[in-house]
Amino acid sequence: MVPALLPYKLLPYGFRRKYRPQRFIPKQKDLKSTYDVVIIGGGGHALACAYYLARDHGITDVCILEKGYLAGGNTARNTAIIRSNYLTPEGVRFYEQSLKLYRDLSQDFDFNILYSERGHFTLAHTDAAVRTSRWRAEVNKQLGVDSELIFPDEIHRLCPHLSMSDHVRYPILGALYHPPGSIARHDAVAWGYARGATALGAEVHQQTPVSGILIENGTVKGVETPRGRVYANKVMQAVAGSTSVVAKMAGFRLPIRTIPLQACVSVPLKPFLDQIIVSGSLHVYVSQSSRGELVMGGSTDPYGLYSTRSTLDFKEGLLGHMLELLPMLGEVKILRQWAGMADMTPDFSPVMGLTPVKNYYIDSGWGTWGFKATPVCGMTMAHTIATDTPHDLIKPFYLDRFVDYAQVGEKGAASVGH
Amino acid sequence: MMAGVNRLPAPFGAWIDRTEKIAFTFEGKEIEGFRGDTIASALLANGQTMISRSFKYHRPRSVLTMAGQDSNTLVQVGDEPNCLADKRRIEPGLKVEGQNYVGSFEDDKGRFTELVERFLPVGFYYKSFHEQKTSWKAWEPIIRRMAGLGKADLAADFHHSYYDKQYLFADVAVIGGGPAGMVAALAAAGGSAEVILIDEGAELGGSLCYARFNADGTHGSLTRAELDAAIRAKRNIRVLDGAVCTGLFSDNWLPVIKDNRLYKLRAKAIVAATGSIEQPSVFRNNDLPGVMFASAAQRLIRLYGVRPGHRAVVLAANDDGYGAALDLLDAGIAVTAMADLRREVPSNELTRSVRRAGVEIIAGHAIREAIAGPGKARITGAIAAPVAGEGTLAAGDRRLECDLILMAVGYSPAGQLLHHAGTRFAYDGASHMYRPDALPPHLFAAGSVNQAYALDAALADGRRAGWLAARDAGFSAGAEPPAPADPGAVGVTHPWPIFPHDKGMDFVDFDEDLKYKDLINGIADGYDNVELLKRYSTVGMGPSQGKHSAVAAVRIVARETGESLDRMSVTTQRPPYTPEKFGHMAGRVFEPGRRTAMHHRHLELGAQMMPAGMWWRPAYYGPKSERDKTIPAEVTVVRNNVGLIDVSTLGGLDVRGPDAAEFLNRMYTFSYAKQQVGRCRYVLMTDNAGVVTDDGVAVRFHDEHFYVTATTSGVDVVYRQMLWWNAQWRLDVDVANVTAAYAGVNIAGPKSRAVLQRVCDGVDLSAQAFPYMGAAMAEVAGIPARIMRVGFVGELGYEIHVPASQGEALWDALMAAGGQEGIRPFGVEAQRVLRLEKGHIIVSQDTDGLTSVWEADMAWAVAKTKPFFVGGRSAEIQAKTPLTRKLVGFTMANDADPCPEECHLVLKGEEIVGRVTSAVRSPSLNKVVGLAYVHPSDGEPGKQFDIKVAGGRRIIGVVTKHPFYDPENKRQEM
Amino acid sequence: MKLMNCPLNGPRNISEFAWGGEVKPMPDPATLGDRAWGDWLFLENNEAGVVREWWCHVPTSFWFIAERNTVTDDILRTYPAGDIFKERVNFAPKPKTTGAEKK
Repeated sequence: MVPALLPYKLLPYGFRRKYRPQRFIPKQKDLKSTYDVVIIGGGGHALACAYYLARDHGITDVCILEKGYLAGGNTARNTAIIRSNYLTPEGVRFYEQSLKLYRDLSQDFDFNILYSERGHFTLAHTDAAVRTSRWRAEVNKQLGVDSELIFPDEIHRLCPHLSMSDHVRYPILGALYHPPGSIARHDAVAWGYARGATALGAEVHQQTPVSGILIENGTVKGVETPRGRVYANKVMQAVAGSTSVVAKMAGFRLPIRTIPLQACVSVPLKPFLDQIIVSGSLHVYVSQSSRGELVMGGSTDPYGLYSTRSTLDFKEGLLGHMLELLPMLGEVKILRQWAGMADMTPDFSPVMGLTPVKNYYIDSGWGTWGFKATPVCGMTMAHTIATDTPHDLIKPFYLDRFVDYAQVGEKGAASVGH
Repeated sequence: MMAGVNRLPAPFGAWIDRTEKIAFTFEGKEIEGFRGDTIASALLANGQTMISRSFKYHRPRSVLTMAGQDSNTLVQVGDEPNCLADKRRIEPGLKVEGQNYVGSFEDDKGRFTELVERFLPVGFYYKSFHEQKTSWKAWEPIIRRMAGLGKADLAADFHHSYYDKQYLFADVAVIGGGPAGMVAALAAAGGSAEVILIDEGAELGGSLCYARFNADGTHGSLTRAELDAAIRAKRNIRVLDGAVCTGLFSDNWLPVIKDNRLYKLRAKAIVAATGSIEQPSVFRNNDLPGVMFASAAQRLIRLYGVRPGHRAVVLAANDDGYGAALDLLDAGIAVTAMADLRREVPSNELTRSVRRAGVEIIAGHAIREAIAGPGKARITGAIAAPVAGEGTLAAGDRRLECDLILMAVGYSPAGQLLHHAGTRFAYDGASHMYRPDALPPHLFAAGSVNQAYALDAALADGRRAGWLAARDAGFSAGAEPPAPADPGAVGVTHPWPIFPHDKGMDFVDFDEDLKYKDLINGIADGYDNVELLKRYSTVGMGPSQGKHSAVAAVRIVARETGESLDRMSVTTQRPPYTPEKFGHMAGRVFEPGRRTAMHHRHLELGAQMMPAGMWWRPAYYGPKSERDKTIPAEVTVVRNNVGLIDVSTLGGLDVRGPDAAEFLNRMYTFSYAKQQVGRCRYVLMTDNAGVVTDDGVAVRFHDEHFYVTATTSGVDVVYRQMLWWNAQWRLDVDVANVTAAYAGVNIAGPKSRAVLQRVCDGVDLSAQAFPYMGAAMAEVAGIPARIMRVGFVGELGYEIHVPASQGEALWDALMAAGGQEGIRPFGVEAQRVLRLEKGHIIVSQDTDGLTSVWEADMAWAVAKTKPFFVGGRSAEIQAKTPLTRKLVGFTMANDADPCPEECHLVLKGEEIVGRVTSAVRSPSLNKVVGLAYVHPSDGEPGKQFDIKVAGGRRIIGVVTKHPFYDPENKRQEM
Repeated sequence: MKLMNCPLNGPRNISEFAWGGEVKPMPDPATLGDRAWGDWLFLENNEAGVVREWWCHVPTSFWFIAERNTVTDDILRTYPAGDIFKERVNFAPKPKTTGAEKK
């Protein structure tokens, strides 16, 4: 890298004597007593919603209440995979819209989210998995999403590092190949939305938990916080990992179980793995980040918990399987492991839209697939809040679909793979 | 013998064996060291000071800690990337290379990045490269190439390296074999408690091995020898040295890595005596070779007999720096001066000795800058300056000649394991350190991790913690030892050893090449708490995980934001403490696969085996190249003659007791109350949400005994569900999963009766006496057997279940008996074709995670008047809602059309309404038959629907009543 | 690896157990309305705090009840299911008219 080849945006940093900071959010202001919209939670979805409320609907009197630090929950803990190769038409349309929004975010924000198309491979090790892969490929193609069922020769050509050995417990029989599968810098997505939303007038209040929800005659009136009562015409919750707890304050229950999801990264390696590799049967997924770390994870933990503790057995299981796929990594090292909270629904689809409480909206049930939906959630929830009508893309994800026996079954595409 | 120009004579080098020379290569050059040397000590002994290149600016780096705590000495060793050169012992022939360079290690083109450093502010990659939509695509590969450190050896084969695992148990586990840990182990082992003492070093002792506790330097080694002998004499202490405990998990579950083994240790109580980690001073060029911790120099001298430099400046803020200076002098290394951050240097044994040795002590001074030599490969001097205030220096620079700067400005507790267990840390304003505050149960901290810095205090603290841990584990002896009166933590750590330089290169985080201004600018950009700043600037995210940067980052954030350190904490420390190899975590990968009693017979017959749940089953018998001929041939044999299939993997459940029939009534959709003894009946299971989950056959052998089959992959869940429901219902019934107890075959085909009769005594197999869906217990070839006349494949056939030990004998007997009929084994693939010709569904292939009995068109299998069955209430509700899809049989409208693949879509216009779940060109009917979900309006026989097949082409399916083959079911009932 | 005290087998690694979710005894399906049935079936308390749950010791297929704190990951108490489910459950026969009829 030589100076002449540097992008012009960096030049002022070198030529100016003094660093000119660009605050991504303004310094925290006093909390007002009334806002048009209060958003509970300061993660990616909440920030995206505030951004689109302001940009698309002109609603700027918005207050984001975050109990910890900005985007410090699951937004900070996910493995940053973006894809739209879902199984149901409802899911595919929804996530495909998300991908479309993602592709333009860096320019929208003037903040590089390091969006990077890598190609996503869901490996199939059983006949049943091959069938599901074909099912997904066919649904994807029918809806204009680039996916294909491919077989070992082609897999080997595209991912030469994968072990295609027959002499393993779970040989690779096929794969769902989804070229648009991408990764992005997860924190940057949230920061970009925060910057965009606050520039248009939204306020972000960190270290401000919501301790109660004010409801009168079935209509939400505001929220309680340790910094005082805040009234609002409309309230949304987007608090993955605390969804049931906050909903309980609003007086309703959800078809959600909260279960930890663990992940880990390796010590940085020179880039060699360009693709995102997922194996449902082996409960493994891996990609290599822009820092050179292998980012790895598996399926959710075996029982429900509101704790981000790590376990040893997670690593043992994950890396045992990892070495079946990529046997040459035996001498590579794990640097760090962590956990996030997954709000699992029975059908592996989200719960979004209206709630039993008037003017109270929910964005929840994000299980292990929330990051990739960040832009489309923001866009559709903003529409839903602004018009008090669920956006067409999220109508299938309404809360009462369970009692209506109208679930949107995504288990085949969402259980591992993120 | 002296291998290397910088080798010191004995008695320096306690851990090396000078009688054994070991040769290895570094960057292709042959290097000679001694047994016991680490890669780093051998390189330094031979004058190779640069060991690695830094992450971003490719600056030369060398030894910082000599304790495996930093990433300045990461090297590539053969196929192992990112290996700690200061921990890894040399072995003959080891091939060591530098990492992260462009061109050559010495002439690394990557170092020019530093020239444009000004243009790459903190988070620069967020600020740029996205100017146009396409520009990131162009930049990304370039930036990506810059990433990473070591290289994965893509040609390596994991199976060449052997890793395994072992369980260990202890009453008390002591982690860390320094003075506190050694005493803790002894105290814990005072009674009969079984104690395990884990230490990273080649020998126990920790700081006793290298630090200087008194003027003549003997106190440490004498104490060490005494404690070591006492520990060796204890039969209830097991020492794991050269071992690292990388995490502390729930219920005292400890991973301990030693050599190629992962120990998983369960302890009743734990003493964490993990010590503390020296913290750097921030000044210009504080990262270059020659700048190291005082403890690193002492380790080099005392443990490895290596001269870390020729002329030193010691930057001190505590007495340990003076101990190090005395060690340097002992080793014949000149000490130009001591710069001491403290205005007043206390007078004590160590400081007086240094003064007596004629070393100038410059009080109230910091290092402003280390002067870089050519290529920055070594420092050539230091600029000292008077400390004016917190982080500021006054005029009055003094240039000090040196090629070595030792930093002794303070510590931070090595509290990673305590963090893993959820310990809270609080800032101690007196010691200027974070100390463990509230410890979880069964966990005790001792020594410098617990603020006991003075040696006497560490020993006393170890004694106390060891005793408490033993008591916690249920072993109590004598009176509780007192906590140390004065831990000696005050005055060892300076609160602000940070002296930013106008020209930068004043590193806060060596791993990530982060300078002071990067943090300041990050905070100015709004990332003004430690967690946000960590994520934005990447401080603490590198291979050493903030061991030397986390505390400095907190101090900087606190000062910039005006927040009090009491109200802040360092970022959460997550496992592992030090990087763990994938191989260690994976161990010997055991993936169990189940084999039936007849497995070897299948192999002898040339079967291609396929996984089915946990089991291996024959797919078909013959070479892969003959697959397309073999499967239809196997089908034809069954249809025309007689075939034999191994069905041992099928689930088997014995349901016994007065309530057996009532229990099945509740578990399955059909009715079993009136099922006759000696008869079989279909079973279909739904879950409480009305989703079809399993099927099989229930055989009534007695009023109070049903034998129920379940699918191969479903039986374990079915069994568990049965027990779960009955834990609530309390019916008088006993359920046993006998899947593994029985082997089974299905002999099928028009000639099956004749074959079976030949080996079956005492049973009348005639159609009248043993009709379709009949069952009996009898002997087959002298083996007690359960015989059921069921027909998944739609021919006359018998399913025979025998004790698993007799499975092979049964197989052999039937194969022999069928010789004259030309009996032939058939596999899962042929069975799938045969069942599809009969229109039988396979649960989970022809159903999915939401399929109701109505959608599956299985209303015939639902008893409508039962009081209750699992899923019944949901089925009632589902019945009231209009169907959205229906499973139908189909054939092709145009016989010339290809056979659709499973999961090709069924479309109505452009809308997806269903999919093909099974389809095959039937060898028996010579046409395509299949099952598919279609729109309910297209669900009646004769209706046509679109199937989208390969290449996007649409072909037309015709709904067809099934069974396709033998619609009157005459053949299975003959 | 957490330890769980199985009422049948004593303390074992938690990897030997399967989680069965909240204990929520089934109301009488015959008298419960469709909506109430769906709510019972699908909605979860998903409590952040002390919960009472089903657990199964997989090698012995033994179901029991555990009380657990889902915030601290502490297992507070385990006991046999029979401590709660003491009586045989019977279902009343269905009146002839309300059979599940497919539309």
